[in-house]
Amino acid sequence: MSGDGDRNIIRVLLVDDEEDYRSVLHKRLSGRSISVVEAATGQAALDQLSVAPVDVVVMDVKMPGMDGVQTLKCIKDRYPELEVILLTGHANPQDGVEGIKMGAFDYLSKPIEIEQLVRKIRQADEKIVRARVEKEEAAFRERIKQQMVIAERLAALGTMATGVAHEINNPLAIIQESAGWLQQILGKPELRDIPRKADFEKALNRIGKAVHRARNITRQLLQAVHTQSTDLTEPVEMVAVDLQSLARESISLVEQEAQQKQIAIRLDIVEPLPVVWSEPYPLLQVLINLMTNAIHATGAGGTITLRLEGTDDRARITVLDTGCGISEEHLPRIFEPFFTTKGVGQGTGMGLYVSWGIIQKLGGTISVNSQVNQGSTFTITLPVKE
Amino acid sequence: MFKTPSYIMLVDDEEDFVEMLSLRLKEIDENVIPVYSGEACLEKLKEQDVDVVILDVKMPGMDGIETLQEIKKQFPLLEVIMLTGHGTIEAAVQGMKLGAFDFLFKPADFDDLTAKLNQARQRKQDQMERIKKAEAAMLLRSAKI
Ligand SMILES: Nc1ncnc2c1ncn2[C@@H]1O[C@H](COP(=O)(O)OP(=O)(O)OP(=O)(O)O)[C@@H](O)[C@H]1O
Ligand SMILES: [Mg+2]
Repeated sequence: MSGDGDRNIIRVLLVDDEEDYRSVLHKRLSGRSISVVEAATGQAALDQLSVAPVDVVVMDVKMPGMDGVQTLKCIKDRYPELEVILLTGHANPQDGVEGIKMGAFDYLSKPIEIEQLVRKIRQADEKIVRARVEKEEAAFRERIKQQMVIAERLAALGTMATGVAHEINNPLAIIQESAGWLQQILGKPELRDIPRKADFEKALNRIGKAVHRARNITRQLLQAVHTQSTDLTEPVEMVAVDLQSLARESISLVEQEAQQKQIAIRLDIVEPLPVVWSEPYPLLQVLINLMTNAIHATGAGGTITLRLEGTDDRARITVLDTGCGISEEHLPRIFEPFFTTKGVGQGTGMGLYVSWGIIQKLGGTISVNSQVNQGSTFTITLPVKE
Repeated sequence: MFKTPSYIMLVDDEEDFVEMLSLRLKEIDENVIPVYSGEACLEKLKEQDVDVVILDVKMPGMDGIETLQEIKKQFPLLEVIMLTGHGTIEAAVQGMKLGAFDFLFKPADFDDLTAKLNQARQRKQDQMERIKKAEAAMLLRSAKI
C-alpha cells in the first residue's frame, strides 16, 4: 500500500494498449502533481503493481488479452484500497457501468477531456485518503477498547487474587509456626538420639521451603495490588524524573546478565527529551522487569534497544528486543498475574502484571507488539511535566 | 538487683496461630499470654504486667490500630510490635506513627520476630532504668532539702 512520503503527488498507473495514446495522456497528466507509470496490457499492469505501488489506476477497457474489466477484478482482489478509473469506447458506455458494479471508482468515455480526467483522479485519491484515515481511526478506537477490556480483566483478577492471598496468609502462618515448633523440639538435647531423626528434619525442612515459596507469591500479589490502589490516604510521590539517568541505571542493573548471554543493550535517545512527572523507583522497577524479560527471550547475538523520546504531549519509553516473540495465543494474556511460559523457579508471571499496575498508577499506558521469531516491543507512555 | 520475669502478650483472632507461636516462644523460655481480640488484650493488661505486645492489625471488633491507640494511652511504656499483611502496609506505617515499636509481615520469620522482641524489651528496660534513676535523683534532692 502507498501512503508514505509526499501525499501531494498522486501516483497513477496508466494502462492502454495504444502506445501513442498512452504517451499523449502521460505527457498531459505530468506536471499536475501527478506522476505516471505506463503499462501496455492488463498482465503488465499487474506485474507493475507487484513491484511499485500506485494510488490510482487509469485503464482502457478494450485491450487484447486480459481486458480492462478482467484486470479490474484482479486488481480489486489483490489491492482493495486501489481506485480504478476505466476508459470506455464512445459506443460502449455499458462497459463502464459493468466496471462500476465490479468496484471501479468511475468511468470516462473516450475521447477524454483531460481536465475531467485530472478531476476524477483527484477525487479517487481523496477517497483513498479518507478511507485510510477512517481505517486508522478505527484501529485506534479498537486499541483503546482492547486496553480497557484488559484493564477491567486485570482489575477483576487482581481483586480476586488478593482476596485469596489474604486468606491464604493466615493458614500459611499457622503451618510455618507449627513446623517451626517441631523443628525447635527436635533440636532439644533430650531428643538428640531419637530414631529416624534425619527423616523428620528433612520433612520439616521441605515444609519450611514450601511455605517460603507460597509466602513469596502472596507477598508479590499483595504488593502488586498495593501499588495499583489509588488510595487517597497515601498520595503518590510524583516528582520530575530524569529519564536518561533512570534508563542508564536500569541498564547497569541488568547488564551483567545480558553480557553473559552475549546480548547487546543499546540506549537510544531522541532529543529533546521531555521531563517526566512520575515516581522514579517504581518506574525503575518496570524498566528492569521489561529488560529482564527481553534478556530471557533473546538468544546470543541479539540486541535489546531501550529508546527514550518525546511525543506531542507524552514521553515514550520503548523496550525492543530481537528475541523469540510472543505467539498470538499468548499475547492477550501476558499481563495477567501468574501468566508465565517459564519453568518452575524461573518465573512466577508477576513481572508484567506488577509493571502494568505501576504504569496505570503513574497515569501512563503500556502496550505490546510482537512477531514470533522476530522480537517484541513494549511501549510505555507517561505524562510529562508541563 | 533482681530481675523480674518478662511477659509477652500475643494478640490475634487466629487461635491456631496464637497457640502455635506461643508454643514456639515458650520453647525458648518466654512467658507468653495469648489473647484473641483487642478487647481481651486491654482487659488482660489491667491485671497483668507485660513488656511487649505482639499485635495483629486485622482483627474483627477492635482492630490492631484502635487497640494500639488504647494501649499507648493507658500503658505508655509498653512496647508494641504490629503484625501486618502486605496489603495493609499503610496500617503498619500508621501504627509506627502512633508509637508502635516496629512491625513484621505475616507470616514472619521467627528469627526476625525474636530479634525485634529483644530490641523492644531492651528499649522498655532502658526506659524503666532511666525513670528509676530520675526518681532516685528526685528522692535524693528532696532528702537534701
Ligand atoms: N520480551 C519478551 N519476549 C517474549 N516473551 C515475553 C517477553 N516479555 C514477556 N514475555 C512472555 O510473557 C510472560 C509473562 O511475563 P512476566 O514478566 O509477567 O512473567 P515472567 O517473566 O514469566 O516471570 P517473573 O517476571 O515473575 O519472573 C513470560 O513468561 C513470557 O512468556
Ligand atoms: Mg518477567
